[in-house]
Amino acid sequence: MGDLGLKEAFASITSGAILNALLVVVVASAIIVAIQKVFPKLAGKVGGKPRLYLLALVPLLRLLIIVVTIVIVVPILIEPTFENMVAIFGALGLAIGFALKDYANSLIAGIVTLYEMPYRPGDWIEVDGQYGEVRSIGARTAEILTPDDSIVIIPHSRLWNALISNGNDGTDNLMCVAEFHLKPGHDVSAVLSLLRDVAFTCPMTRTWMPVSVVAANEPWGMRYRVKAYPLEPRDQFRFVTDLTARGARVLAAEGIGFTPYVVQGVS
Amino acid sequence: MTESQKPAIEPSILPGGLIAPDQWKLPETSVRRSMKGGVRHLLDQLRAGISVEEEPFRSLDDLPLLSPSRRQRLAPEPDYSTLSESILTDLDASKSESSDPRSVAFLVAPPFSGFREALVRVPIVSGTRDNDDCEWRVLAPPDSLLMDDARARQWWDKQDLSQPWVIPELADFWLRHTSGLALVRELLRRISAGEAGQGIVGCSSWCWQFWQSYCPDMYLSPRCPAPLDATSLGRWLEGLACQSGDMVLTARMTHDGQYVLPLDDGKDGQKQKHSAFLRDLAATSRGIHGVALAIWQRSLRARPEDDADQKEEASREGNGPHCWVAPLEQLSFPIMPQSQGRSLGFVLHALLLHDGLDENSLTLVTGLWEHEVVHILARLSRADIVVRSESAPTWHVTALGYLTVRRHLQSWGFPVDGF
Repeated sequence: MGDLGLKEAFASITSGAILNALLVVVVASAIIVAIQKVFPKLAGKVGGKPRLYLLALVPLLRLLIIVVTIVIVVPILIEPTFENMVAIFGALGLAIGFALKDYANSLIAGIVTLYEMPYRPGDWIEVDGQYGEVRSIGARTAEILTPDDSIVIIPHSRLWNALISNGNDGTDNLMCVAEFHLKPGHDVSAVLSLLRDVAFTCPMTRTWMPVSVVAANEPWGMRYRVKAYPLEPRDQFRFVTDLTARGARVLAAEGIGFTPYVVQGVS
Repeated sequence: MTESQKPAIEPSILPGGLIAPDQWKLPETSVRRSMKGGVRHLLDQLRAGISVEEEPFRSLDDLPLLSPSRRQRLAPEPDYSTLSESILTDLDASKSESSDPRSVAFLVAPPFSGFREALVRVPIVSGTRDNDDCEWRVLAPPDSLLMDDARARQWWDKQDLSQPWVIPELADFWLRHTSGLALVRELLRRISAGEAGQGIVGCSSWCWQFWQSYCPDMYLSPRCPAPLDATSLGRWLEGLACQSGDMVLTARMTHDGQYVLPLDDGKDGQKQKHSAFLRDLAATSRGIHGVALAIWQRSLRARPEDDADQKEEASREGNGPHCWVAPLEQLSFPIMPQSQGRSLGFVLHALLLHDGLDENSLTLVTGLWEHEVVHILARLSRADIVVRSESAPTWHVTALGYLTVRRHLQSWGFPVDGF
């Protein structure tokens, strides 16, 4: 068994079998590519939950196709006896263990990702300081699109040891926060009420979700945080902008000024 | 009217009466039809952008539509005075049944339920009732709805709430703007505090959805009209046809001849095979009176020979009027125009939230530029989804367009009503 029995396992492979297997792999790859192209496009046309469902289907279908392809291809190439399986998986184990450790680590994490779902396509996540929407989940990596239209590729292996913050966790509810830093010496309850009205009157607010305004006393004045949910997670930046603009207008009309600067790190 | 020509059961203008909103249920339909509706909506969304231009409503069958005068005779608007009387009677009954009757009745109704029109008539109708010695007064909103809390208090102080009052539509009293909430906020405070005297508040279900979220602790025990199911819808449509004449309407499906109306079997006791049209219509229209009536009016058909033969046949046999009904699948409803951004949704949501708005108010509540609002209204108008009111410069969602608007707003993530 110096060659782990691979020679016997592959002895029966013919050129016809290789061609057949290749054909199956090509067809499977074509289906995967088509799914990865078509589904996100369809998802872009519908909103709300159907969009999330369509995006989430992509990695699941790909995994399914890969598994089915392996199930079809292996018997074409070799006779699936116990000895042959041990030989092949033993050789694969060695190769992965020495040469492709990190790659295999990400692949396994990718499978765990599909099971544990720490992030799904359509989720807004932050990993290692990078914030964006998960656009696709590959076998080894996930791609997120940042608000500045940059694609960041995150290996699934980060799953093992990085803190992953997920804003909407598979739903279309994503809380946004608009901050207001105001000079001291104003009626706090009046400002709380005004900012609550700002959130309720913004046409992008999901009014059936909780709307809250919290205030904190800071050395430089008062800090208010308006927390509300936009109609859709992808509206978040426009939503926060709208809340900020409306809030600034209302506060200015009431004669309440903003602090000219905020001293960072002072508590 | 002879005995044989009368409907067996006296039709009600408000079938099912007034119920609590949590008892409201969407009329049931077949699984096949629900799935078909869902798939159709999804395909409509996916197709957006593929079709060159949206088209207004058109019929997909070849049968001639009823003439406007005949349609008006067979499927007229309901008598809102009768509806008003039904509402008052129902409110009186619920007051006498309740151990803790409220002095201000809150009526929440989906758009096109006809409650605004009925409540406007309360002062006239109540004057004709034997047991009603109250002199009701309609409260009209001020010209400008933008005011602060102090001015809102002043405005309400000036209103005579010691006499019974009625607000036909609460949506007329506010704007979704930081300065446009004060009037309703103060009214709701007074109602909760028991300082508002005796009154009736009509409120669109969309407006109610907003204020319920805005004042989550508010407890006003509103009432709403029961949804129309197949039977109550049939009785209601029979009643409408009887409104303008004494005859019972006979309506049959164009494709299989099955009966839609009358609901009861023939006078000779012969069993009539009835179509599932009314069940599907009740579900499609979400049990809303005005929406069901609009679809019903669109589905009525004449046969070319009908006009000539109808009168002769009716007089010969003593039968009522007869017409044909196109299946719902053959009706094309307004299609939502495609849109890249959210502007379309903002405008439509604002129109439903306020039960109609003019361009200036739309600009104010949506935050869009005036020219954007005008462009959007023109597109929606072309698609038969909104229409400008004849009496005032306000825009409204059409009854036929309401269903697609509600569905699209829901899929775009907007808050929608519970009806």
